[in-house]
Amino acid sequence: MHATPTPPGPAALGRLGPALAAAGAALGLWYALARSGAVAPGLLPTPGQTVAALADGARDGTLAGDLAASLARAGQGFALGALLGSALGFATGHLPWLSAAVTPLVSFLRPIPAIALVPLATAWFGIGETAKRLLIAYAVLLAVWLYVHDGVSRVPVTHLRAARSLGAPLHRRFAEVLLPAAAPALLAALRYGASVALLALVAAELGGAEAGLAYRLQVDGQFLRVDRMFAGLLVLGVLGVAVDLLLAAAGRRFAHWGPS
Amino acid sequence: MSRPVRIEGLAVGYGGSRRRPAAPVLERTDLDLPAGSFTALLGPSGCGKSTVLGAVAGFVRPTAGRITVAGVPVTGPGPDRGLVFQQYALFPWRTARGNVEFALKRLGLRRAERRTRALAALAEVGLAEGAEKYPAQLSGGMQQRVALARALAAEPDVLLLDEPFGALDALTRSRMQELLRGLWQRTGLTVLFVTHDIDEALALAERVVVLGGSPGRVLADHAVPPGPPDPGLRELVAAHLAAG
Ligand SMILES: Nc1ncnc2c1ncn2[C@@H]1O[C@H](COP(=O)(O)OP(=O)(O)OP(=O)(O)O)[C@@H](O)[C@H]1O
Ligand SMILES: [Mg+2]
Repeated sequence: MHATPTPPGPAALGRLGPALAAAGAALGLWYALARSGAVAPGLLPTPGQTVAALADGARDGTLAGDLAASLARAGQGFALGALLGSALGFATGHLPWLSAAVTPLVSFLRPIPAIALVPLATAWFGIGETAKRLLIAYAVLLAVWLYVHDGVSRVPVTHLRAARSLGAPLHRRFAEVLLPAAAPALLAALRYGASVALLALVAAELGGAEAGLAYRLQVDGQFLRVDRMFAGLLVLGVLGVAVDLLLAAAGRRFAHWGPS
Repeated sequence: MSRPVRIEGLAVGYGGSRRRPAAPVLERTDLDLPAGSFTALLGPSGCGKSTVLGAVAGFVRPTAGRITVAGVPVTGPGPDRGLVFQQYALFPWRTARGNVEFALKRLGLRRAERRTRALAALAEVGLAEGAEKYPAQLSGGMQQRVALARALAAEPDVLLLDEPFGALDALTRSRMQELLRGLWQRTGLTVLFVTHDIDEALALAERVVVLGGSPGRVLADHAVPPGPPDPGLRELVAAHLAAG
């Protein structure tokens, strides 16, 4: 429950070792495959060519521009969706009558993939930024709502009863009981929501954009620049991992009593 | 301060609707708890002990009858009636001291004063050492000590306990019983203690009320004379319990 931070040194290296070894092996395999001629020429770049393409993008400014455009979209969409999703999750998780009214609707909307909504979003809002941000926000909202709802509805009733019998008014029961009790679920919801934001970002940009990581992938695809596409995928992967690590670190800081 | 509790014609049915009322869990239950008395509510599992306690606490709405504390009708939960549950009621994100301070916030004290009082309350239940520990770092008995300290810190008139020592081993249990007896004698609170353990009821209370039947009601009401345990009384209570 109260994990003491692992001191850097042999222990940390011991945990990192297998992961580094596997990454090294994958890199070697990739290199060998690209060099073996088993794949038609031009369809599989070597790791070196991928890094070179990445460096090219960094030098001519396209990488920074795409990154900025994508981060702004994903960030704004995520913020809006996470805010609304958390608020709704707290409301339906805490109020059974509201949940009974709203859950069937959410269960119907949730399985519809965000990609399927791209044409509709474009028809309604055009190909501008609004459509993309709203699409991402919508996808994040549904994901975060579900997780937060689940976490809040599992807050032990004895906690809330104890707070009421100790004379805590509504605002204290929310801020000092419901919020901390649901914090582990909230952080899990935000991590999941961030991954959904990335998915929705790609879907939104493939629907038409002027800059962005996924938009660049599409352009590079049209010119069969496989090395650049690999570089773009690499950036998307690193971005996803970085955001997740950041949120996980926040989780250890703010929800240390959680089950994970 | 201690105040009397009066339960008059209490009936409870869970669920159900206006058209189709639920089958009653409790029927026409009467119970008078004089100010400063210690009463054990004894009965088999499912007979409605927690329901009676929940009604006095204000969480369970009666379908009939009424409950008053010093003549004032109970309409919901309030800090005049302190609660100790069987387990899992401490806030796991707060230390032992933090849990007690939660109860003290109501009194509008300064931060330092709150801290001093919380530490004193923990010392009173024999937990001065563990004040900065989280519930997960405390044993079951220590957690219930914190729960007692927290309930008492809110300065209730009535203390309601629902099988508070049910999850503890025998030795810890008898230590906690001693602690509770001492706290009651010192504070003079009106105590209602729910248990399904005859020996616990007889060891702790001045009076043992046997609840039973379906729907539940009061089957027997015994005064427990002070002094060493009386095997005859135990047999009598056991017979009432078996009849329920
Ligand atoms: N929230 C509820 N909704 C529906 N039925 C309930 C609810 N709480 C209790 N009951 C039912 O009411 C009856 C009495 O329950 P109660 O919890 O008061 O019994 P108890 O004497 O405390 O039992 P135990 O010793 O097992 O704690 C049981 O049949 C139980 O199934
Ligand atoms: Mg019970």
